[in-house]
Amino acid sequence: MTTVHQFVPALLPRDATGDHTLALRDTFRNAGWTSNIYVEAAHDELLTEATYFEEYPDHAQPGDVLLYQLSTASPVADFLLGRPETLVLDYHNITPASFYEGWEENTAEKVALARRQMAELAPRATLGIADSAFNAAELRAFGCLETEVVPILTDIDAWASRQLVDAAEAARLKESHGTGARLLFVGRLSPNKNQHLLVEMLWLYRRWYDPEARLALVGPAITGTYARAVMEYAEELGLAGAVDHGENLTPPQLAAWYSDADVFVCLSDHEGFCIPLLEAMHFDLPIVAFAAGAVPETLGRAGILIDSKRPSLAAAAVDRVRGDASLAEHLAEQGHQRLDTFAVTATRARFIEVVGGLEADRAVSA
Amino acid sequence: MPASTPSEPTAASSATEPTSSATPEEPLSKKPDELDAAGRAEYLAEVMAEIDAEVRHRRASGDLPAGLERELDELFLEFSPVGLQGKARLRENLALVDGAAYVDIAVPVESEKKIGVYIKRLIRKSLNWYLGFIVHQIVKFSWAVSRMFHLVVDHIEDLEATVESLRIPELPATAVPVTDPGTTWWADQAQAAVSGVPGRVLHAECGNGSLVARLIADGVDAYGVDPSETTIEPAIERGLDVRAEAALDHLEVVAEEALAGIVLSGSVQWLHPNERDRLVALASSRLAVDGVLVLHSATPEAWRRSTSPLVADLAPGHPLHADTWTHVLAAYGLSRTALHTGGEVRRLDRVATSSTDATTINAAIDTVNDLLLGPGEYLLVAVRDR
Repeated sequence: MTTVHQFVPALLPRDATGDHTLALRDTFRNAGWTSNIYVEAAHDELLTEATYFEEYPDHAQPGDVLLYQLSTASPVADFLLGRPETLVLDYHNITPASFYEGWEENTAEKVALARRQMAELAPRATLGIADSAFNAAELRAFGCLETEVVPILTDIDAWASRQLVDAAEAARLKESHGTGARLLFVGRLSPNKNQHLLVEMLWLYRRWYDPEARLALVGPAITGTYARAVMEYAEELGLAGAVDHGENLTPPQLAAWYSDADVFVCLSDHEGFCIPLLEAMHFDLPIVAFAAGAVPETLGRAGILIDSKRPSLAAAAVDRVRGDASLAEHLAEQGHQRLDTFAVTATRARFIEVVGGLEADRAVSA
Repeated sequence: MPASTPSEPTAASSATEPTSSATPEEPLSKKPDELDAAGRAEYLAEVMAEIDAEVRHRRASGDLPAGLERELDELFLEFSPVGLQGKARLRENLALVDGAAYVDIAVPVESEKKIGVYIKRLIRKSLNWYLGFIVHQIVKFSWAVSRMFHLVVDHIEDLEATVESLRIPELPATAVPVTDPGTTWWADQAQAAVSGVPGRVLHAECGNGSLVARLIADGVDAYGVDPSETTIEPAIERGLDVRAEAALDHLEVVAEEALAGIVLSGSVQWLHPNERDRLVALASSRLAVDGVLVLHSATPEAWRRSTSPLVADLAPGHPLHADTWTHVLAAYGLSRTALHTGGEVRRLDRVATSSTDATTINAAIDTVNDLLLGPGEYLLVAVRDR
């Protein structure tokens, strides 16, 4: 029987990596495989789902495959380096330290450590699974010889169906603004996500097209200094009342923010996959996005891809989709087609195929 | 609007303009959802072209003054920790340090009960001798730190003044001649170098866009930037994707590894050394692995003898020899360099061998030809390493 155990630094609820790890564990088990989750830390809600990673040697069996969810620095990486089992990396991207330098030195050091760990793990791994070709290229650059692209397991339909929109939150949002355009970006407030450029874009957009337009920034403020600077900057530009920040939202509340928006705008410099693009497609939001990192491959033709992050270009693009209903409809239609390529059933099957193929290879070489 | 907010667009009332001035002049005959895959790609490309046209329109109308977005970026940096070098914020923070340097040992004794006031006062009085000794040392240390910060800030301001006095003014745009790169000797080599590359190709300082047009005709996904709005007018009239931006400004906002080729010509040859390094670093990071960089320059000798006095005198830098460029490019991961030479060739003719002392004279002529004359321009083609 195939045994694939997953290792993850932290197992958290309502977290992309956490959801992916749990869904993948269930996928493996449904295929009849043995699969458990080993962690450095787990949220109270998920304590029964995971085992502390240092207990693994007590459960180790010959032929185990260890699959590491690589997204941050952790002692789990050092632990795995010392294990003799077949190692598979599932890479979700680590933001380069350069984005945090000058903003949040601790975070910069942490991601630099994570990248050093990746450099050690990649050549040792038998297989690297990446959720985008962009991430796969990074894995190869770090010395991983064999890579496969398999999307992240996110069952968008399951959590983001329209029935799950928090009605109270939706009503509160509707009351809080006028008739102006509502622009949305979802992602942690972080220098690589360029929320300050979205504020600049709003400043131009209000002057050129719609003086009542508003911007919603949804996501945790991982780097406090950057988040503070973005909000102070908005205030300096006279936009304090026009920029809303939402965090710690439940899925139905997040769904309400998506439902309330007119256009999703992303000017990130570095995205390893960008799940919010899929969420925006689900909510029929026209998307304007800067073509950086994995954004072009995740978005496909389901949005307006701009080749520079100039706020003026983004503002003009937003106006273009706002002012053309047939274009917005076309993008929404393309979005739904695009979502089909990330359907969870197909992704589950692909994981079984890729990891199962590894098992078959081992059998042949034995 | 706060005083430090960047300059207002000149057409502040433009909010009253139609909400989309980028509506296609000739609407598509088919609805987008009726198009096939190629048609949809073409449709999105047309939409992008209209968006670019809208930005150009905003620029031309004065809604988007040159440098406005840079001003906005600089304003944002003032809110960042790295932006603390701003003189005003330095002094502002220094005042906070000064204010916090004094530690008061007169602890407040207010209380809702009268007995509370009495007890607190008693405690304060009985601890004064002890706290006073410790606080005195803390205050002494704080003031020493504060004094040191004052010295550092004074020193920084002196340095800033010195740096400002050394700043090299930019070359006036009017001094730079209008270029027609598509008709030059090096256009063929540049075209051959980027022909068939898998992705977008940027021509920085594209002049009238003639090389961009040639590349597009060759099937290359090419576009251009040039700092002069008037220079690119013919290109815009031809419907080319050409934008009024300086090469450095444009490359700053392009995604990493997004370009398959970059052609650098024009003022790249006389950039200030700092800007030259920045340009090469940016170009290297924006090129995909195996992306092609094409660089055109005059030789230093030809530049000195043939460029206009205005450019020669006011340019912040001067052209480099091809070998030097090769070295600079290699430092930024651009190697496998190929060199083409061309342009005006000036050479002294050798004397007839029958003349007296012909060998000596011809040796001298060869030396002069090699060192001072020869081909006046060169084209370097380099490839970005893995």
